[in-house]
Amino acid sequence: MKLISKAYELMDNKLIRAGVLAAIFLIVASFPLYFNNHYINIMLIAMFYMLLALGLNVIVGYTGLCDLGYAAKFAIGAYTTGILVNVFEWSFWLTLPVSIAVSIVIAVIIGAPTLKLRSDYLAIVTLGFAEIVRITARNLSITGAASGLHGITRPELFGFRLTSFTHWFYVYLVLIVIFIIISFRIRHSRFGRALAFIREDEDAAQAMGVNTVLYKLYAYILGAVLGGITGSFYAVQMTSISPNSFDFTQSVNVLLAVILGGMGKIPGVIIGAAFFAIFPEIFRDIPFVGDMRMLFFGLLLVVVMINRPQGLWPDRLRANDKLPDKI
Amino acid sequence: MFTIWELILQQTVNGLILGSFYALVALGYSMVYGIIKLLNFAHGDIFMVGAFVCFASFGVVSAALPGWPGIVISIVIAMIIAGIVGYLTQRFAYRPLIKAAAPRLSLLITAIGVSLIIYNAVMVITSSRTYFFQSGIEAAPLFQAGMFRLTDIQVILLTISASLMAGLTLMIKKTMVGKAMRAIALDRDTCRLMGINVNKIIGVTFFIGSALAAIASGMYNILYVNVSFSMGYMFGIKAFTAAVIGGIGSIPGAMLGGLLLGLLEAIGTQFVGSQWKDVFAFGLLIVILIFRPNGLMGKTEIERM
Amino acid sequence: MSLMQVTDLTMRFSGIVAVENLSFDVQEGSITSLIGPNGAGKTSVFNCMTGFYKPTSGDIRFRDESLIGLKPYKITHKGIIRTFQNVRLFKNMTVLENVMSGAHSVSKQSVMGALLRHPAARREEKDILEYATYALEYVGIADKKNELAKNLSYGDQRRTEWARALTAKPRLLLLDEPAAGLNREEKNQLSMLIRDIRDDLGITVFLIEHDMDLVMHVSEHVIVVNFGTKIAQGTPQEVQSDSKVIEAYLGSQEDEDAAL
Repeated sequence: MKLISKAYELMDNKLIRAGVLAAIFLIVASFPLYFNNHYINIMLIAMFYMLLALGLNVIVGYTGLCDLGYAAKFAIGAYTTGILVNVFEWSFWLTLPVSIAVSIVIAVIIGAPTLKLRSDYLAIVTLGFAEIVRITARNLSITGAASGLHGITRPELFGFRLTSFTHWFYVYLVLIVIFIIISFRIRHSRFGRALAFIREDEDAAQAMGVNTVLYKLYAYILGAVLGGITGSFYAVQMTSISPNSFDFTQSVNVLLAVILGGMGKIPGVIIGAAFFAIFPEIFRDIPFVGDMRMLFFGLLLVVVMINRPQGLWPDRLRANDKLPDKI
Repeated sequence: MFTIWELILQQTVNGLILGSFYALVALGYSMVYGIIKLLNFAHGDIFMVGAFVCFASFGVVSAALPGWPGIVISIVIAMIIAGIVGYLTQRFAYRPLIKAAAPRLSLLITAIGVSLIIYNAVMVITSSRTYFFQSGIEAAPLFQAGMFRLTDIQVILLTISASLMAGLTLMIKKTMVGKAMRAIALDRDTCRLMGINVNKIIGVTFFIGSALAAIASGMYNILYVNVSFSMGYMFGIKAFTAAVIGGIGSIPGAMLGGLLLGLLEAIGTQFVGSQWKDVFAFGLLIVILIFRPNGLMGKTEIERM
Repeated sequence: MSLMQVTDLTMRFSGIVAVENLSFDVQEGSITSLIGPNGAGKTSVFNCMTGFYKPTSGDIRFRDESLIGLKPYKITHKGIIRTFQNVRLFKNMTVLENVMSGAHSVSKQSVMGALLRHPAARREEKDILEYATYALEYVGIADKKNELAKNLSYGDQRRTEWARALTAKPRLLLLDEPAAGLNREEKNQLSMLIRDIRDDLGITVFLIEHDMDLVMHVSEHVIVVNFGTKIAQGTPQEVQSDSKVIEAYLGSQEDEDAAL
């Protein structure tokens, strides 16, 4: 314990923290130099999960709302981009704002009525909505029905087409850094604190002047937008998407990553996401473990909730937090 | 066009039966939500456990007692075992959290965990296979007109469902346990002070809710035959939808919501297409939440500090 | 000048009358107390004043504006802040963050401020932090600012709540049984603090309490309720000698003894 608090203390120093973060970034950024495509591909999956988990974390970890249909958020982004690029031959980059707008509209439609009444309904409404999205995608011709969309054109960046695993590794890396900065800035702001007040005690938050319904809706919209952006990138990275990429299991995996990883703590969420992305890759072929893994996670979830309701690595302000303008 | 009306009539009967199953499962959601404000995510899986226990029991019992007597015994066994499983989930997963006054999010996530446990345990035990429940009962038409057919099985199932709901309503209204349940729903702490054994009543609520789900699953087996580990997931969510439509916490609301949902689904499937079957329920859920957020029979809550 | 006027306030819960035709004024710059035995309807009055309950009938006006039908957060934005009888802190957050929550109603940066961190947002953050630190010093727990609220002693949790309320720079501070659970020493500090808050910061204080010592010591105007209706009002001395008040309190004292 002493070592940990010592490490925390060190990390409070601005220079040391900047150094450590830069070192981690450089090490991660040099991965494509040592690893072959097989491993980079696994890393891409892990990074994709990290993006999703960071997005869902705004809803679940920061605000304490339960979203069981996060897959629908990235499905919406992925299909928006996929359809615009494939059918209407738009440039990928132009589809991003559309994808964001669609995410916002849908988050308002789902969130506004639900959050006004009882937040715990959000779980079932998001789940139901995710099913609607999946079934609709499977039955419409514009979404390519059950087989989905194929041959989505990969985007160009500075006249340079993003094709290899390595290219995408760096695209995702940049996205992750952006998502982390967004998360960090939210957490250390008046807005983010208000979300945490809601999570801790909704009545007291209201008594302090927080418009709880509106702030919950903001958080939900933000989470949906981050999911939508991730989905858009996913569509052009994979070049094909199908309804099966967006089923309930995906939503549960991301939720598990956020809750078991850290419930608000950014490093915890990232480690959680890496774990839930890589775990099936490793144990897929071991027959018994592969089948039992969700059973095990279910047990873990119950045990963690009973013993550490704030998650394994809970969110809290660093000691000696002076001025919150660090990044 | 006579046939269109015959078709609608037929789907109405089908819808009422399916709806009464939804209603029985919705009652469990509604009772638990009413009493501890928990959205018991694992309730659909309890329904699935009931279906399997009923299936397995009938496999053993049917040799000696084929037909209805065997089915009734199997359903009773399913009720008891599902009730015990429901009670155990409450005892070991939810009670510690309720005791610690944990935030509602923790309770909800625990329920998701319990659901994952039951779902995957049954998946491993049954090796992901789908089984077929062969009741060996031939449906005899009681009434027939063109495409419309009313069978004895349908009448029996509807009668059982209706009497169960009537019985439950009476129980909640008249008995001590029912009164205690309603009192706990209003104010748990005061009930504790008044000497009501709150934990016991919550346990009884889980047992009754789970047993009702097991009866629904047994009857579901007779009509829909397929038994698999994944059958409870979608069914459970829809039953919850039914509870919300009726107004969560309201017993007659759960019944009404179940029946409405069953009708909508049967008629919608007939006229729009079965691939959209699951969209009706969730679409209705979202519409209800927008326009009538407390459900059809729910009361507006007075917020208390 | 009266800051808040309560007129004919009635609050019923499915048949049970918690408050009936209650009227009183809170003068600007005063320390006013609402007292009464347990179950006299004090907390219901409080919850009506802060928007947590919607009264059955009657009016509550603050600076000549009706508060009826406003959500609690809107009332807070008008400059009325409350504390809770059973201390409602954000348990898993630090003391500093808890106190910063008070500033929510007097600051305005939202999603865009958080994401862009433009100069206005940075300035506001700095102000919030400075004022929260000041409030922490004011109540005397600056050294505990980085501890989690749930790890504090009960007395310090109370102080955190007061600091949180001060950070909102309210015009009217509503204290819900502030002395509950405090020892004699802490009660003395509390009454000094209440006076300081009024004298130094010019904040009007309204408290509900059944601890007579504190009320008589600190308040200038006292309103006594029993069974939801007003039975007396006036200065502490006037109220103390009122026969109806003595009766109500003696009666309830016996009940409390019997309950123990």
